[in-house]
This record gives sequence, C-alpha cells and structure tokens, in this order.
Amino acid sequence: MTTDATTDAPGSPGAQPLVPLHCLPRAEAGPPRLAVLPTGTPVWVLTRHADVRQALAHPDLGRAPLYAPDAPPITLTPNILDDPSSILNSDGPEHQAIRRTVQRAFTPRAIERWRPWVDGVVRELVGELVGSGSPAEVVGALTMPLPVRVISRLMELEGLDTERLGRWSDHALSTTAYSAEEIGAAIREFGEFGQQLVQERRKNPGEDLVSSLVQAADQTGGMTEAQITSLTIGLVIAGHETTMTSFGNALVYLLDPERTDRPGRPEHPDRAGAWRRIGADPAAAAAATEQILRTVPLGDRTTAPGSLRRATADLEIGGVTIPAGAVVAADAVAANADPEVYPPGPLDLFAPLGTPSLTFGAGPHHCLGAWLARMELELGLHHLARALPGLHLATPVDRIEWRTGLVTRSPLRLEVAW
Amino acid sequence: MSDAPKLVVTVDRSRCIGSGLCARTAPADLALAPDGRATPTRPATEGFAELTEAAEMCPVEAITVRDAATGKLIAPAW
Repeated sequence: MTTDATTDAPGSPGAQPLVPLHCLPRAEAGPPRLAVLPTGTPVWVLTRHADVRQALAHPDLGRAPLYAPDAPPITLTPNILDDPSSILNSDGPEHQAIRRTVQRAFTPRAIERWRPWVDGVVRELVGELVGSGSPAEVVGALTMPLPVRVISRLMELEGLDTERLGRWSDHALSTTAYSAEEIGAAIREFGEFGQQLVQERRKNPGEDLVSSLVQAADQTGGMTEAQITSLTIGLVIAGHETTMTSFGNALVYLLDPERTDRPGRPEHPDRAGAWRRIGADPAAAAAATEQILRTVPLGDRTTAPGSLRRATADLEIGGVTIPAGAVVAADAVAANADPEVYPPGPLDLFAPLGTPSLTFGAGPHHCLGAWLARMELELGLHHLARALPGLHLATPVDRIEWRTGLVTRSPLRLEVAW
Repeated sequence: MSDAPKLVVTVDRSRCIGSGLCARTAPADLALAPDGRATPTRPATEGFAELTEAAEMCPVEAITVRDAATGKLIAPAW
C-alpha cells in the first residue's frame, strides 16, 4: 500500500538502521514480572508458553475492562484497536454473539475451499513479477496486492480504492506516525465507508462475507450498528495489513544473506537451499510458514510488551497472584521461543511445530483469519520460490526502508533480483 | 427424542486453543478444563443441534461428533 507513514531514512545523519524483525531482541521465557507501559501503568508481563496460553483463555482476564471508566491508561494515542465497539474489545456472550456472525466463514475447511482461487491469484501475481524482469520490487508486486485481492474478493469490494484503503489502514494502526486528530478523522472516514457498505449489503445481499455477517447479525439481534460497522472495517484491515506485514518480513528473513551470521537468532544454515526447498515442495512451504509465523514478529511492540488483558477478579498465573483490576501483557513472541516447548538453538525451518504457536493468540480472541493468513503466506512463498529459485535481496538488509510508527512494521519496498 | 442417536464428542486437545466457543454453544456437553482446553462433560449425549454447531464453529476444528453406535462422523460435516 502507499503510505504517508514516517519512514526511516537510511543513510541520513544520525539514523540508526532498524534491524529486521527476525533479529529483534525478545524477552526470555520466565516467571511473570512486573513492568510499566509507556503510559506509566504497571503491567504483569507473561512470557512462558503455558502462562500466555492460560491468560488468553482465562475467563477472568478480559479486553473490555481495559476500557472501563476505572481503567488505568493503556495507550498514549488511541487507534482503531482501542475502539470499544470492536470485537477485539468485547468479552463473554457479547463477544461470542459478534464472532458467531463470521466464524463459519473462517474455519479451516471453509478457508480450504478458497485454495484453488488463492493459488490462481498468487500464480498470476508471481507471473507478472517474473515478466517484469530482474530486479523487481516485491512489496508492490506481491506482498501487498495478494492480501488486498483476497479480502476484496471475500467481501466483494471489487473496485476498492487501494490507495484510500492504505491511508485508512496506516492511520487506523498508527502508534506515532500520525496525530490523534489525524487518526480520528481517518477512522471516521473509514467508518462511514463501512456503514455505507453495511447498509448497501443489507438492502441488496449477495454471497459475500459482509452480506452474510449483516444477515446473521440482523437475524440474531443484539449487535449494535456500531459493532456491525466496526467488525466490517476490522475485517478489511485485518484481512490485508497483517498478512502483507508477515509476508514482507518472511521474505526479509528468508532472503537475508547475513542470516546465518547473526548470533543467537533464528537461523537456518543453508539459506539458498531452504528457499529452493520451499519452491520444490508445497509441504515444506507449509512447514516453513508455521516456523516463520512462530519466529518472526509482526512489529516492534513499542506500545505494550504483549497482548493486553485486565483482571476482573484475583487470579493466579505462573505462581503469581494477579489482583483484580491489574493489567496483564501476554507476550506471545517470548512464549513462541519458550525452550520448554520449542527446541532452543538453530531453527529447523522444516520441522513440524508440535505445539501450536501463540502467534494467532489463544482463547476467545484467537485470530479469526489465522487459516486464511497461513494459506496466503504458504502459497505466496511456495510459488515465488518455485518461479525464482535463485531469488535474493537486491538491497542490503540495513538499507531496507520500513513502514514505521505503526503497530506493525514491514518493508515499505523490497528490491529483489534473480 | 428417545430415538435420537447417542453421540460421542471428542476434543483434540493438542489442537484446542481454548476459544470457549464450544462451551458456550453446547454447555451441557463441553466445558473448558482448568488448563483452558475444551473437554467433553459426559461419555455420550443426544444434544444434536448444539453439538453440531459447536463442532462447526470451532476455530481450529478440534471437535468431532460421532454416532456412538456406528462411529459415523456427524460433525463437522459440511
């Protein structure tokens, strides 16, 4: 997507090149520890796989209480993730009522039905990239248009202005890139788009995801119009932003020529061989996708050290008593490297995970789009590596321009050659 | 519904991510254990509609519902 988000200017005086996401330091898995959010609010940070999983599924740890009148401040500049109408910030039966309207469309089998179509889109985009000749820019050619096309098809948003979508999306997920006023204005505009879409599909329903969610919500009742709109625009954002980010960062990781030279980082001894294997064998691409999702984070997590929850009762996690009202951060990045669960040392990119990673969370808020994201990433990596087995980065990793000031971080552009 | 088939529910606990959707959909037959994973509450049951929905709603397809007599898969089936 095009973006106005502040970009790091490599080479400008005093600018420190940002490390790729797979090289970010991560907390070591250990007992719960007390830290402080940028707002000054104390937070219990959970880093062990078992503790994170338990917290995310715990009935006494909710999202809505983070936005209750008595809640301590958790964000300096609110964005769309702080919308109280969002499915993200509801709990219990109310959350379930929202989730039910769309859950059936996102089960593994429901997503699997889209595979031939997604496969076709990936082949087409990769074909165009190859046809454009080496070197090429892979974000604009593949990692951005793939998820946008997929979610546009599912929601029947054909003709969607992708530049406008990119602007809304960057504002909606801004941490420091934009002012509170700019973020609020963009979210309002995006919300109006969502509201019109909902009204239009209510009047003229089709076979798409928006029509089915509106029908389900209207049949069951109990959902406010704000919740229906919020869910709709939430799906648009979640449907492309995180997949684009994950795909771009996966390519940086897989094509980083220095990867094996970064001590203590997830690594694979034979970069070029691993890439060829992803292209030669779809099962290898699927295994690598799971390992990459486990080990390459989506962002710098400058706003919080994990996914936040707030206790509604005194509870015990990891041998520590968390008092009612306290804020908890479930650090899935640390938990995904917990040596109790995943073997420490060099990463075997093609080993089965064994225990599911916590990248998509756990509990009631487990990522709705997890299977769709997996499939897009798996097919994207496989077809790109199959078509271009000798693919490599044309820009050194420390010269990559990043989208920054947002919840997620990914390459703004990524020059590749073959 | 005395002639309704007896059903057996199983949960693949390694797949289960503890969404709790099943326990809310079919509370008589599925509950979240203290470790946050779903678990059947009784060996056999007849709660057809709720269980089918629970199995079909599960985000990771960890729930299977079978006919107790024949072993036939009832849900998820669509």
